[in-house]
Amino acid sequence: MSPFSAGVQPVAEAALEAVAAEAVERARAAGAEEAEAIVESTRSFTARALNRQVETLKQSVTHGLGLRVIVNGAVGFVSTNDFRSAALEDLTRRVVILARFATPDPANGLPAPEREDPPGDLRLFDPAVLELPPDRKIDMALTLERVALGYDPRIRRTEGAAVSSHDGAVALVNSHGLARTWSGTAVSAHVVALADDREGKQQTGYYGVSRRWLGELPPLEELAREAARRAVQRIGARPVPAARVPVVMHPDIGAAWLSDLHGAFSGAGVVKQASWLTDKLGQTIAAPSVTLVDDGRMPGGIATEPYDGEGIPTRRNVLIDRGRCAMFEFDAYYGRRMGTGSTGSAQRSYASVPGVGHNNLYLEPGTETPEAILARVDRGFYMDDQGSFGFNSVTGDYSYQAQGHWIERGEKAFPVEGVTVASNSLEMLRQVVAVGNDLRFEHAVACPTLLIAEMTVSGGVEG
Amino acid sequence: MANPPQSTVSDPASELAALLPFELLEELIALARAHGAEFAEVYGEHTVHTGFSLEENRLKRCERSILRGVGVRAVSGEQTGYAYADGFEPEDLREAARVAARIARAGAADGRPKSFKVVDAPAPFQLSEPAPAALDESRKIALLQRANDAARSHDPRVHEVSAALSDSTKQFVVANSDGLWAADRQYLARLTVVALALADGERQQGFAAGGGAVEASYFERDRSPETIAREAAETAVLLLAAREPEAGAYPVVVASGWGGVMVHECFGHSMEGDTIRKRTSIRATQRGQQVAARGVTIVDSGVVPFSRGSFRVDDEGTPAQRTVLVEDGLLVGYLWDLLNARLTGERPTGNGRRSSYRDYPLCRMTNTYIEAGPQAPEDLIASVKRGLYCKNLGGGSVNPADGNFSFQVTEAHQIENGKLTYPVRNATLTGNGNDAMLKIDAVASDLEIDGTTGSCGKDGQWKPVGVGQPTVRFTAITVGGTRT
Repeated sequence: MSPFSAGVQPVAEAALEAVAAEAVERARAAGAEEAEAIVESTRSFTARALNRQVETLKQSVTHGLGLRVIVNGAVGFVSTNDFRSAALEDLTRRVVILARFATPDPANGLPAPEREDPPGDLRLFDPAVLELPPDRKIDMALTLERVALGYDPRIRRTEGAAVSSHDGAVALVNSHGLARTWSGTAVSAHVVALADDREGKQQTGYYGVSRRWLGELPPLEELAREAARRAVQRIGARPVPAARVPVVMHPDIGAAWLSDLHGAFSGAGVVKQASWLTDKLGQTIAAPSVTLVDDGRMPGGIATEPYDGEGIPTRRNVLIDRGRCAMFEFDAYYGRRMGTGSTGSAQRSYASVPGVGHNNLYLEPGTETPEAILARVDRGFYMDDQGSFGFNSVTGDYSYQAQGHWIERGEKAFPVEGVTVASNSLEMLRQVVAVGNDLRFEHAVACPTLLIAEMTVSGGVEG
Repeated sequence: MANPPQSTVSDPASELAALLPFELLEELIALARAHGAEFAEVYGEHTVHTGFSLEENRLKRCERSILRGVGVRAVSGEQTGYAYADGFEPEDLREAARVAARIARAGAADGRPKSFKVVDAPAPFQLSEPAPAALDESRKIALLQRANDAARSHDPRVHEVSAALSDSTKQFVVANSDGLWAADRQYLARLTVVALALADGERQQGFAAGGGAVEASYFERDRSPETIAREAAETAVLLLAAREPEAGAYPVVVASGWGGVMVHECFGHSMEGDTIRKRTSIRATQRGQQVAARGVTIVDSGVVPFSRGSFRVDDEGTPAQRTVLVEDGLLVGYLWDLLNARLTGERPTGNGRRSSYRDYPLCRMTNTYIEAGPQAPEDLIASVKRGLYCKNLGGGSVNPADGNFSFQVTEAHQIENGKLTYPVRNATLTGNGNDAMLKIDAVASDLEIDGTTGSCGKDGQWKPVGVGQPTVRFTAITVGGTRT
């Protein structure tokens, strides 16, 4: 029988820990010198609205176990969602065999439990998310879509609105006596508005947020109106000739860039010299207004967790300190390779081995309002949407398809699409000339409005 | 030689079919329709993944994972209810069916299918020794070591190599309230190599891959580890000396094979039946109209031999087929899954796909490509005065509603007076899918379909796909870069 069941009761952390502890015991008995088991159980419910009715309702109840072993200094890993005893026995035998194929490495090893101050109340779990009835989530999704549709007559349809709730627990146990469990909730809402443009063309406006606490969701009307506003303001967008101009980055664009940047701070890339920051530790790499933080312990943060994927306490890591490249981030393996130790940065799901990742990643805010930043630009580009691919992770080269507005005399003059925006991340970091005061944590990565002194905007018309 | 399982099975005696006997399927379908849903479906899956990776000359990852469970879908009009259970406990499956049923609120329906009819579509190709099953751990690891050695010995500037082999064996059973019952077994294997080259403070990376729904012998006969590794190393070293692209709009020639990712993004997504039915795609009203240049024919085919995007039946049990989307520039057909086909009165085209039992099916492409044209590939470059030849593309994306697309070009060459003059790095192509296919002014004869490496994401679900084209020229595409 599975220890998991759907309902409004929180997942029992103790039951997960028992499954994890038993898996570690089995692995030790099968010949593993060290063993670690992670067991997750998550539930989610999503209501999607389209054309003023419910389009889909989806309920997910998921559990899984990941088992990492070290045999003769080499690592094997298996994962499964089949918890029957015979299946676990078979998988345990296989993981020990798999480890014997791997290369022994003195840097392999599971962390022993550290003495630490208790994490305190990180505000990860909101009972109200669990208790939110499905009908209420349906109403919320319908409201989001209705408000977006009512914003402007040119918005005649949406791509849908969705509201989802999540809760789950994780247990991590290893053979050095480490045992950690924690639980969390999340609630997300988003809507994509479509505005009619000329000749059958449409413009899209997306807006969505995720929060751990239901009460911290912004008002749905505000969220829907913002999505609609984004779609409508793109009507009539056109390309501009190629030019080198100042670029103002909307917080979404800054956040996407921070996600790209983070790869260069990963110890895995630094050890292999695959990071464009490999030789830059301790050097000035950015303007003094730039302070980049990865905070695993921000109370209530959507990406806050008390421990990382290996059970090491998370912390607040300052990656760029007022322009200086202050540190890189490591899991236990690369921390040992580098001689610095783990920085509590191992990220994983039950189905994967740990790798270096981030928790709440953000740029410290400055003092200027977004309006004041815009007013500083005589002629330039305001970038508020981008394509999915355009970053070179080994060089930091940046070249994204972009949408936004042309800026003239400190104001948005007309909407722009069909252009790309290019530079290199090291140049961009040095050319940050303004950081806004508008930092808002809507997802795991957050950034205030930024002004970059000069980037190349390439357009679809000859200059 | 032993004769392991065929590429596709419809064997009711298989383990999955035993876990989901007809009586249980009938009961689950009836439960899912208890509140009036007119359609219900049960999808059971057992998938095994294995993965090995060699980095820094060390075999770092040796992994195996198992994912198994059952998803239940209930459809009422345009509305879908979905729930799943990990595993096959009948009581868990009944609970999933009851949850899915709640989408409908119209009362009771006549639930049970009268009987099941087994879908017996022919397999588009046979695998006698599928790579995931026929290669044991030692042989998989030996492939990685050969790739690692080949990439490192290619050039002294190759500083680091990561080689990875991952494969999956997926079995599923699908049954629905129309009485359909289908089962399949799908094998995929993929060998990828990333080479990092360093010289004079420059740092560049090259990527290459091989694989698909392939035999074990593929890695000897078709694409050996050495071939894949050398391609990755060559790209990395070449890019060390490459220049930044000129920013602007000018003629672009895109190489055959993986270059077809452009037709997948720029055009294919806007032809998926969900966006047609909901009219969020500009293509919804363009049947019979010219949507691509004359001479351009665009196809989606789930039966391309040995491709990642191919299968015998899709994840709804519909047999794979070849669907012509554009013929000589005119829009002639769309892609349909069961739900969207039923709501629009169209016939399903075998494009109902889901990433696992944890997701409901969506309308998805399989292998999407531009058919061969009449010209010699070298002539497409020879007639360009100033332009860009895109030899290899990286990732691409499109917003199907507004049409904006972009592609990362991992390896390009400047064209000057009909000749390739120097390598170019970090180019990004952008434009609008609404008119991109109209800008094609030449199609070569060298059609190649790349079924080795593509994965397509939609609504958070990833599926393996193939893409293809011959060498194709566009009159003008906006190229992003730092040189003006």
